Amino acid sequence: MSAELHLSHLHKRFGGLVAVRDVSFSLAPGEVVGLLGPNGSGKTTVMNMISGALPCDGGSVKVGTTDITRMKPHRVAKHGVARTFQLVRPLPTLTVGENVMLSLAFGKKRHWGREARDLAEEKLAFVGLEGRGGEQVGNLTYIDQKRMEMARALASEPDILLLDEWLAGLNPSELSIGIELVRHLQGQGITVLLVEHIMEAVRALCSRCIVMSAGEVIAEGPSAEVLARPAVIKAYLGDDHA
Amino acid sequence: MKTPLAFALAAVVLAALAAAPLFIPDYWTGVLLGMTGYVALATAWALFSGPTRYVSLATVAFFGVGAYTVAVLNEVLPYPLVLLCAGGIGAAMALVVGLSTLRLAGVYFVIFTFGLAELVRQTVSWWEVNVTYTMGRYVFLPFEGRHIYWQLLALAAVTLLISWAIGRSRLGLALKAIGDDETVAAHAGINVTRIKLMLFVISATLITLVGAIQAPRWTYIEPSIVFNPTVSFMTLIMALLGGAMRLWGPLVGAVPLFLLFEWLSVSFPDHFSIILGLLFILIVFVMPQGVLAKLEDLRGRGKP
Repeated sequence: MSAELHLSHLHKRFGGLVAVRDVSFSLAPGEVVGLLGPNGSGKTTVMNMISGALPCDGGSVKVGTTDITRMKPHRVAKHGVARTFQLVRPLPTLTVGENVMLSLAFGKKRHWGREARDLAEEKLAFVGLEGRGGEQVGNLTYIDQKRMEMARALASEPDILLLDEWLAGLNPSELSIGIELVRHLQGQGITVLLVEHIMEAVRALCSRCIVMSAGEVIAEGPSAEVLARPAVIKAYLGDDHA
Repeated sequence: MKTPLAFALAAVVLAALAAAPLFIPDYWTGVLLGMTGYVALATAWALFSGPTRYVSLATVAFFGVGAYTVAVLNEVLPYPLVLLCAGGIGAAMALVVGLSTLRLAGVYFVIFTFGLAELVRQTVSWWEVNVTYTMGRYVFLPFEGRHIYWQLLALAAVTLLISWAIGRSRLGLALKAIGDDETVAAHAGINVTRIKLMLFVISATLITLVGAIQAPRWTYIEPSIVFNPTVSFMTLIMALLGGAMRLWGPLVGAVPLFLLFEWLSVSFPDHFSIILGLLFILIVFVMPQGVLAKLEDLRGRGKP
């Protein structure tokens, strides 16, 4: 079952800097939505507030009807929210399979033993790392590390998946593999919030986009339409192009 | 090796070690006693500090508190209750220390734990001088070396058993993840603070019990004896030498180093500290991952 994600009037200050100002949006179950904006516009900060990595200074985050605003990351995870990180963060002392088993062992359903091993293998197969659970993380290529991180996020059996520039740094053929993977998630009914700079991916995956600039939401709507709006083009490229 | 076979083998070795004092001279029982004490200390230390990499120098704080609890209570309560009290006090102290310090990371944690050991020692000294007017206490318990040795042997076996059980459980996986990246661990659903605290308390309680059990051996106890910081350093270096991330690592490090220290302190009593320091440096440089990892490495390289 997918849960809906609601953000309302989210607010975050770092000292004198307002990083996120009054951000509200919501995702329907099973939707893949892009969260766009130039560097420093507050996208990752929003992600961090949803996942509990950063406390909010104001506003609320709800998953379905549950308020997760003040929850720590481990409790947010148990409410069906999983994420990947902007810079891929594998756990090097664990094997590839153990990285995935970790989320299974401490996710919503707390799998362990043979069951967890089988499920980990299943998740690895889903992202294209079949039979490679015994390998050391350090030996994986960049795309494979990203795949493993995706498998780890999926292993907690989330309703909502936050992908923070998961497609960044891939070459064109890897990119199309990545896009295909995210599309598969959609088929499984997972709600995805995608922070992304790669427009090709956004157009291919996201039915809807939310654009942020300087901590505020400046546009929201169907992808093709939003990306053509003057305010969005101005935020990305400056006045001359609008 | 299959698990039942490994257990049978461990039981045989344990029985042989337990029978040893009946056949060897008292001096060697004493050596075995000291060695078993350090095996228990190093294994207990590595329970928490191994996977999480929170290097604790507070070993002697708990060790000393254990010894002092016995010194204070041995004439008031029956011995099993004294041990229970020591364990309880160690656990309570670890809980307080853990709650206030586990937010510290890296070198700050190391310095804090070192400071803690000094703080406890100075506090006990101050209390004894100014409140109870007794610098030094006597422990009169009807134990011979082998009795203490048997208790330590049992404690070391229990510690290894706990370490084995944790290593197989999801707790072990969580601890390794915490050592790698606490943020990722938390986002995978792990209650990082609770698990760190839990392991710190288990580890500290075991360390306190080692101190408590060893107390009768000294007969006379004062802060400079039972709060000697060398205990913390020895425990640390033993665990590192063997490999703090492995079940048998601390044991593999503790046995040879204890024998070496014993020989050094007899043969070079004046230069003991210098040699100890050099040895620390050597171990950290040559085998930062420990002997067991080094052996695996060499074996791996031997293959084509």
